[in-house]
Amino acid sequence: MSEHTRFEELVLPHLDAGYNLARWLTRNVNDAEDVVQDACVRALKYVGTLRDGDARPWFLTIVRHAFYDWCKRNRPAEIVGDDGTAIDMAADDLAMDPERLALQSSESRVLADAVAALPLVFREVLILRELEELSYKEIARIADIPIGTVMSRLARARGLLQRSPLLHAAR
Amino acid sequence: MNCSEAGNLVAAYADRELDGLREHAVEKHLRRCATCAAKQQDVFSLRARLRAEVPYFPAPPVLRERVRALLANAHDVAPARRPERDRWHWLTGGALAGCTATMLAWVIGTAVIDLRANEDVALEAVATHVRATLSNRQIEVASSDQHTVKPWLSARLDYSPPVQDLTDEGFALSGGRLDTLDKQRVATLVYRYRQHTIDVFVRPELAHAPSASRTVRGFNVAHATGSSMDWLAVSDVSADVLTAFVQRLARANAAP
Repeated sequence: MSEHTRFEELVLPHLDAGYNLARWLTRNVNDAEDVVQDACVRALKYVGTLRDGDARPWFLTIVRHAFYDWCKRNRPAEIVGDDGTAIDMAADDLAMDPERLALQSSESRVLADAVAALPLVFREVLILRELEELSYKEIARIADIPIGTVMSRLARARGLLQRSPLLHAAR
Repeated sequence: MNCSEAGNLVAAYADRELDGLREHAVEKHLRRCATCAAKQQDVFSLRARLRAEVPYFPAPPVLRERVRALLANAHDVAPARRPERDRWHWLTGGALAGCTATMLAWVIGTAVIDLRANEDVALEAVATHVRATLSNRQIEVASSDQHTVKPWLSARLDYSPPVQDLTDEGFALSGGRLDTLDKQRVATLVYRYRQHTIDVFVRPELAHAPSASRTVRGFNVAHATGSSMDWLAVSDVSADVLTAFVQRLARANAAP
């Protein structure tokens, strides 16, 4: 099988998953398209190293790498260290921004906005778990973190959403 | 197990990520402890809301076009390297051609033997699913009405596959088509689950059931038998969801 065919058969079926992840990471339509296109260029180059059976997590790993490279160039401020407090502040700042609150219309926009307002490190594990339905092990491989960290970040993401002022403001 | 021991495990339990022993321990604790049971319920209700209210963004057509263009360009680059190889072909001439023919015959021969030996329907089912997705030939009879899909299929097969719409449970019937599986014409039911497509191949029950659930090229394949039919589901949804779904189909149809 040529690289070209392998890409078409193994990677292309997961283009939606790749775009959904990029869309939630960049929170922007055009940026997500750029990230996924870059990821496809890389995937095409390395598709020879892909073993059968794990195409989706493999491609999502590449999309995530492409996003972080893009982010370093375009939004370096978003990549914060793993300092818990700094991240908490960032979350609450975004979540309580009065302009954002004023924009809320329907209930469902509210939850989607609360997810979008999550800090990057929590947002990515939540999307991989709840929208992509990946296992802890797969998420650990994609985000390049230990399983214990997957669990703690997921717990923080869920906690932030459950306590989000966005959700309570709507009630 | 007490609350502080269970604390961090409740979420992992709700995510079905615990091994048998710990799963059992948490289960026992949840039956006795209302606080921890509520915590588990929080994870479930948040999940239900996320899946219902948070959009899943499929790749827009313009991105698909960009990727197609990317592939076309990559393809154009490839022939540039060919002249060198061509010269070599000429030098070695007939010998190489003979050699290639022998090799090819051998490769095809072994592939056929392998396929027969394994009777690996799962591989074939995944290949069919991918081909249908790529060529947009997913559905030949588009309908969410089981009473439209079933007669269409029955008229084209020598059996009548049970067809059920499970929209209420999140699995919306979107149509059906005919495929060839294991040298046999089979009915394929197409369902949508969130943003995923699920193909379910339905054929009369076999003397010996094929292999159980597995993963092929990143797709999950789940199998069940019921209602004197053999059910094989292929999709990129998670294995546990797919297995539950295919068992549900087989079971529901077994009921009178």
